[in-house]
Amino acid sequence: MNPATLPPLVPALPELMLALGAMALLMFGVFRGPRFVHVISGLAIALLLLAAVMVVYLPGGTLTTFGGSFVVDDFARFMKVLALVGSAAAIALSTDYFDSLREQRFEYPILIVLSTIGMMMLISAADLIALYLGLETMSLVLYVLAAIHRTSVRSSEAGLKYFVLGALSSGMLLYGASLVYGFTGTVSFSGIARATAEQTSMGLLFGLVFLFAGFCFKVSAVPFHMWTPDVYEGAPTPVTAFFASAPKVAGIAMFIRGAIDAFPDIAPQWQQIVGFVAIASMLLGSFAAIGQRNFKRLMAYSSIGHMGFALIGLAAGTEEGVRGVLIYTAIYVAMTLGTFAVILSMRRKVGYVEDIGDLSGLARTHPALAFFLAVLLFSLAGIPPLAGFFAKFYVFLAAIKAGLYALAVIGVLASVVAAYYYLAIVKIMYFDEAGEGFEPMSAELKVVLGLAGLINLLFFVYPSPLLETATSAARSLF
Amino acid sequence: MSELLADYFPLVVFIGVALAISLALMIAPFIVAYKNPDPEKLSAYECGFNAFDDARMKFDVRFYLVAILFIIFDLEVAFLFPWAITFGELGFFGFWSMMVFLAVLTIGFIYEWKKGALEWD
Amino acid sequence: MYQAIVLLPLLGAILAGIIAIAGARARHPGGSPAPGAENHADNAHAGGHGAGASALHADIAHASSHHAADGHGHAAEPPAQGSRAAELITSTLLVISAILSWIAFVRIGFQQEDMRVALFPWIVSGELQVDWALRIDSLTAVMLVVVTTVSALVHIYSIGYMAEDPHRPRFFAYLSLFTFAMLALVTSDNLAQLFFGWEGVGLASYLLIGFWYQRPSANAAAIKAFIVNRVGDFGFALGIFALFALTSSINFDAVFAEGPVLANKTMHFLSWEASALTLVCILLFMGAMGKSAQFLLHTWLPDAMEGPTPVSALIHAATMVTAGVFMVARLSPLFEYSPTALAVVTFFGATTAFFAATVGLVQNDIKRIIAYSTCSQLGYMFVAMGVGAYSVGMFHLFTHAFFKALLFLGSGSVILAMHHEQDIRLMGGLKDKIPVTYWMMVIGTLALTGFPLTAGYFSKDAIIEAAYAGKNPMAVYGFGLTLIAAALTSFYSWRLVFKTFHGAPHDRHHYEHAKESPAVMLVPLALLAVGSLAAGLMFRDIFTGHGVAEFFRDSLKFAEGNHVLEDMHHVPTFVALLPTVMMLIGFAVAYDFYLRRPEAPVRLAEQHALLYRFLLNKWYFDELYEVLFVRPALRLGRLLWKGGDGYVIDGFGPDGVSARVIDVTRGVVRLQTGYLYHYAFAMLIGVAALITWFMFGGAH
Repeated sequence: MNPATLPPLVPALPELMLALGAMALLMFGVFRGPRFVHVISGLAIALLLLAAVMVVYLPGGTLTTFGGSFVVDDFARFMKVLALVGSAAAIALSTDYFDSLREQRFEYPILIVLSTIGMMMLISAADLIALYLGLETMSLVLYVLAAIHRTSVRSSEAGLKYFVLGALSSGMLLYGASLVYGFTGTVSFSGIARATAEQTSMGLLFGLVFLFAGFCFKVSAVPFHMWTPDVYEGAPTPVTAFFASAPKVAGIAMFIRGAIDAFPDIAPQWQQIVGFVAIASMLLGSFAAIGQRNFKRLMAYSSIGHMGFALIGLAAGTEEGVRGVLIYTAIYVAMTLGTFAVILSMRRKVGYVEDIGDLSGLARTHPALAFFLAVLLFSLAGIPPLAGFFAKFYVFLAAIKAGLYALAVIGVLASVVAAYYYLAIVKIMYFDEAGEGFEPMSAELKVVLGLAGLINLLFFVYPSPLLETATSAARSLF
Repeated sequence: MSELLADYFPLVVFIGVALAISLALMIAPFIVAYKNPDPEKLSAYECGFNAFDDARMKFDVRFYLVAILFIIFDLEVAFLFPWAITFGELGFFGFWSMMVFLAVLTIGFIYEWKKGALEWD
Repeated sequence: MYQAIVLLPLLGAILAGIIAIAGARARHPGGSPAPGAENHADNAHAGGHGAGASALHADIAHASSHHAADGHGHAAEPPAQGSRAAELITSTLLVISAILSWIAFVRIGFQQEDMRVALFPWIVSGELQVDWALRIDSLTAVMLVVVTTVSALVHIYSIGYMAEDPHRPRFFAYLSLFTFAMLALVTSDNLAQLFFGWEGVGLASYLLIGFWYQRPSANAAAIKAFIVNRVGDFGFALGIFALFALTSSINFDAVFAEGPVLANKTMHFLSWEASALTLVCILLFMGAMGKSAQFLLHTWLPDAMEGPTPVSALIHAATMVTAGVFMVARLSPLFEYSPTALAVVTFFGATTAFFAATVGLVQNDIKRIIAYSTCSQLGYMFVAMGVGAYSVGMFHLFTHAFFKALLFLGSGSVILAMHHEQDIRLMGGLKDKIPVTYWMMVIGTLALTGFPLTAGYFSKDAIIEAAYAGKNPMAVYGFGLTLIAAALTSFYSWRLVFKTFHGAPHDRHHYEHAKESPAVMLVPLALLAVGSLAAGLMFRDIFTGHGVAEFFRDSLKFAEGNHVLEDMHHVPTFVALLPTVMMLIGFAVAYDFYLRRPEAPVRLAEQHALLYRFLLNKWYFDELYEVLFVRPALRLGRLLWKGGDGYVIDGFGPDGVSARVIDVTRGVVRLQTGYLYHYAFAMLIGVAALITWFMFGGAH
């Protein structure tokens, strides 16, 4: 047996840097105490953004390391930058919230950084073990985060539910992975691809189903979505904002790489799964959200629906479809973070409110806030010329080109239903009696909301950076 | 198929031996042990819980903390065993890999220490 | 010049309209830009409900319930700014137009300057080619004179009559708009243009009848007029379509050239084979019936008296209602080849003449009496058309315009003097209070009843003679009924005069305050009176005498065998005298009833209560239509509304879909129980379902 040698570390440099940084911050925090929460938050954001810069400036092309289980290609770069930016924004959104509740914890930003490391591993994972490792690194932190508001019953309940169901899904994923390994004899994606090209057995399909069940859980696709509304509602709002953004990016990345890289030759099989899941998610997300009064819960269903739309692109199984998913994910992150910035600014003297009815007459009390929220909601509903329209446009286009007409038609119909509840909020803001105003927004919220709003509003003016990077990212997978 | 079974034959022998020994050890006390029960001897072990009681009773959350911390370091040790056995063949890189692992673990240990997780009161 | 005649009123309408809109904005700052339009819509809605109800009411209640509102309701509202400017602009332009028309009349009629003034191409679509062009010939010239003259006088008269109304700019804009549409109608060179003018006057009529849109009854009347006219226009439009189908053109020249050919063609209509020309003519005549308020489609005209009185004079007496007569004259090259169609025209004309006259006998609303009189006189004109004496019909149209406008404007003067009281039973003895108006009304009545040497004498007697001389199967019927109608006309006209101006005043209060109208109203009356007296004598020759051929030339078509114009001069003497005798009988009875023995008519009414009620209720036509059309239409509408739209479309469409969406939502939300094991179960079900799918047939 040859002694193991040091693998090339350059591709994983951002992850290593983040890990070292997280540990350093942990030490700093534990020795200097909670008085430096804001400093730690700022440093964590800086760390994440620095990692994003590093990801961008890594040597070009496809890099692999750790025996081929860690891949950095354009796809990984795209998703990593998205996840890093999403995490950084989530930290930015949190400071004001925890300050006002006097619940500042220096662990919060560090946990997010650690979770982000998991996401990046997940995004780069090119075998089942690396994938599981990344997934658990990410998820364990998420369970903790959901329950970080220890004194709140709902937060604890959310954390517990998420943990139990997450464990179940991890179990399914592991079971599926073991079946796949059992029937192909390898855990690396390229090896699985080679093995499935030769022959496909029913057992492998079972493995596929269980594996995909795990994937679906992470992107909260129906019928593995049940945790989402409860966890979104129960978890502290900044945590919900985080849940709705970066982990979804990582989940989608895992889903895409798992499906495209590992099972290219049984695409017709998994396309059925993804297609079914996409339809179910779109419909459920659209219909169930109508009955919601709690804004966070509504956003939970909204994100279920949006994941359904994004999965349409994956169901197409083409390069164009993947490109559509990438564009969709990027725009979805912007829309969601912006919307949560608004939810986080729904603070009255008595505390935070989450009811949609509390937004009534917002156009009179806070015209700018109402305008940005209206832009985001129109974008979420997919109304041109806002970014959300193009997001849907590209996935539907890919589905049509791939011949999945039924999927596209159902998607369009579901988005009609979904438009109802988005527009209902706009109606409440602009046409209902004005209620009591909100407390002034913090600067961080303003920045996040402003950026998200402008991205959605002006995407159509200059879409090429996103489109081009998404194109090259999708190309690197095929 | 028979070859496969043949491969597992030592395992069967091992299980058989283990069964025999454990049964012997469990049965022997009934035969040879000196019996002089008193209430204190029959009470539950150490932690203050009745051995046969409702499992859903409340107990101090600190037990969990201790248990979790124990598991972490327990697993760490379990990880160290194979490393120690093959240490001679792992070489320079193998040694430092484990050192990094221990360093990370140490950071976690420092954190829990500073947070006071190791203090009972 | 001809363009100027037609377009000057349009210019006036636009300018006055701008003033009206600006005034409305100024009065309702910050409100919606067209508050008037909004009110229109609202009240039209209310009027829709009122339509059914008003038809049920007896006439008396109808007339007396809103006479007080005639212009009074707005006293509190300040007059629109620029009212004076709007009056002056529109009136001046109309006077110019009228003067030009007379010049044109002389040039065309006597210097024989027929022409086409092509303006611009309008529609080019396949075979269909329609240009805007002015067809200038004698027929047009007669109408130009009538329309512009009466319109100009009505404009001037309205300055006085509408002085208290706050919406004068709108009123004058409508009046000028009407005049423009009417001129477009009479100058049309093809059927599409004719139809444009036809609908244009219909629109203006609708707007003017409903001018006082605050009154439900005015809205109801406006809607009624519009809808009844739609019935006629439907036939008219079908006639145009049929003509186009047959001749591939709707230009008059092209169509007229085909006239003799069409007479021998047949075409399918409602599954039976019909003579093409007869069919076309009858369909076109349906339009004329609607517009000219002929029997069966006459019900809108009396109700149209809801409009301001000058409107009644201009639109519902002198001009618009004669459009049907004009149309038949214009299309004489077609009608002339279809004896059947002419017989139909005669029949309806004669029936209307008689029917309207009988109803006129017992009406008590001063304007309604004159309205029925108008209806009756229009019947006369159609009788003339029907027997082929087109120029005679045109003559009556021409003279009638003068004396009927005079009567209406005179009655307007009475109404104004009586402070918007219209019931003649409440008048009486006004002769001394408003002598000028009295004499004007007497002149108008003389002309209407055909007192020798007045305008009506020449034209109406000529019609009766033509009916006698006519050859078509309905001519005798026409002769008989028009003769009787002449006596009835005389009776109800004199009844009106006697009850209004003679005897003892019935309403002291109004009587005391009655005073003569201002000069601006009396001068138009005087001019019309001159026309009523002299128009017959002056123009007798060119309409009925030997000048016809020379004057009308090609604009009217007399077929080979049509000698009615010649024959009517050779009727027996007793026939020539009969109308005058009838007129005298009518006068004598009226004199006896209303001056000598005022109790006699009451007794007569009591003796023949059934007949009296029959006449008073206008032969129960409104009630009949109510039962036959209005109620079934309402029921059908209700069925389609409640059943079709409400239940089927809303139920399965928007409402149904949204209700299903809510149902689905409720179901889905119920799935979210909050129990962890349910959630885990859902996940397992999902996995199990997918695996089952792959086990049984899903895998490729």
